[in-house]
Amino acid sequence: MEPAAPLPGTQDLLLESARRLRRCEAALCDVFEKGGYGEVIPPAIEGADVFGPEAFRALDRSGRLIALRADFTAQVARIAATRLAGVSPLRLYYRGSVVRRLESGPVYERLQAGCELVGAPGAEADAEILGLAAASLHSLGLKDARISMGSTGYFSALASAAGASPRLAGALNDAVDRKDMPTLRTLCEREVPPGKARDAILMLAEPPRPQTAARELLQRAEALAPTDEAREALQRVSAALAAARDLGAELEVDLGEVRGLGYYSGIVFNLYAAGAPRPVGGGGRYDNLLGRFGDPRPAVGFSLDLDALMPLC
Amino acid sequence: MLTIALPKGRLQKPVLERFARAGVRPDEEPGVSRKLIIPAGSAARFVILKDGDVPLYVERGAADLGVCGLDQVLESGADLLTPIDFGFGKCRLCLAAPRGSKVEAELGRSLRVASKYPRLTGRWFARRGVPVDLIALSGSVELAAVSGLTDAIVDLVESGRTLEENGLVVIDELLQVSARLVVNRAAYRLKVEDLLPLLEKLG
Repeated sequence: MEPAAPLPGTQDLLLESARRLRRCEAALCDVFEKGGYGEVIPPAIEGADVFGPEAFRALDRSGRLIALRADFTAQVARIAATRLAGVSPLRLYYRGSVVRRLESGPVYERLQAGCELVGAPGAEADAEILGLAAASLHSLGLKDARISMGSTGYFSALASAAGASPRLAGALNDAVDRKDMPTLRTLCEREVPPGKARDAILMLAEPPRPQTAARELLQRAEALAPTDEAREALQRVSAALAAARDLGAELEVDLGEVRGLGYYSGIVFNLYAAGAPRPVGGGGRYDNLLGRFGDPRPAVGFSLDLDALMPLC
Repeated sequence: MLTIALPKGRLQKPVLERFARAGVRPDEEPGVSRKLIIPAGSAARFVILKDGDVPLYVERGAADLGVCGLDQVLESGADLLTPIDFGFGKCRLCLAAPRGSKVEAELGRSLRVASKYPRLTGRWFARRGVPVDLIALSGSVELAAVSGLTDAIVDLVESGRTLEENGLVVIDELLQVSARLVVNRAAYRLKVEDLLPLLEKLG
């Protein structure tokens, strides 16, 4: 037999690194428990329809499509919508690994920990989750952390106000996500009729604003908001910003923060920490996900990427 | 301290000019010095790389920002911010084949194609539903079509002279290329106070 190493995208955690992971997890669980959150441990395999296309799937013997856990949030939503239906608000946390498959490239495994606040619709809930995310990073000893907040709901509202086809909306989203102003401008000039929606879309690639300067940006965006839907999405960002005081991490508003899992419907945020070249976590509001499991309730949550965080702790 | 990935080759001179205009100048001339890392005052430094390596250095955070062609950005698949199009280093990524060959008419059957851009080429053909036998080469790609190794090639075309002298013609254009500024996603947020003024001057 050939000498065997773990598959690309996976790893063994031995001794000191295992100890470090458990230390990180313990610090995080302490923050979660103190915040009133209780742990759930969902199974490692699920019916494939719980997850999106990023899940690693296989047929079981009966011909049913099953998947390795690709996303805790979807599992927690399933649990909240079924066995814990009607209990509001619900505060749940989890830790463990997810397995995902990129469009190209290997299947990979990632260690996560995170929280979900179910059945709480308001800005206070958004702020609670932002605060918990900040406290989590603080508990790991990360002093220079930033939270960058935007809204996928705002982007969707603008795309639909502009009458964008799914293809165009995808191209706009990609350009905004890359802060690719030249491409965004070209797309808008060629394919979006002039008007408030176009001007508002062009604003999305603007640089982020610190909490103190975000009001001006949001007021300017509101003046351009082409529909009630867009205005409401911006007001949700403003309200979350106002409710999120003394986070212990810098909160900034970046309307170009549009990336997220498909079910995000409102505010969305990414977490950055000095020393990590990619976001160390993220989250957002997903008010339509539980409805898929028969219990339409609003929810908001976040998760941390422990693989990205461990080298910093 | 900002670390800037500076490409070797034809982009280097115009890139250095743009950074100089923005007030960032290397302490030694990269063409003369053999150093791989060259300080630029106290606030920045340049790392000197092959342009194809720029996207990965920036994605992984070994450099905060850098410059390379859009072809390299997309071929690398790196997850980057691309806020500025410098407009120089212009060329086109093209599908080309020997003059008089029936490649165009035969896009319906499986084609043998050589390229230094397997990812971009594969995706372009996949979107058109054309099966392709992709041969990834590292240089002299034109030779593949001329020698009969493949039916066609995908390569950068600047003036078109190399193609013409070797009896090749452009069949389609995959991508318009120019030099792009690439920025690491986390650096953009965490070093925003240093980066944004520089981006404004560069843009």
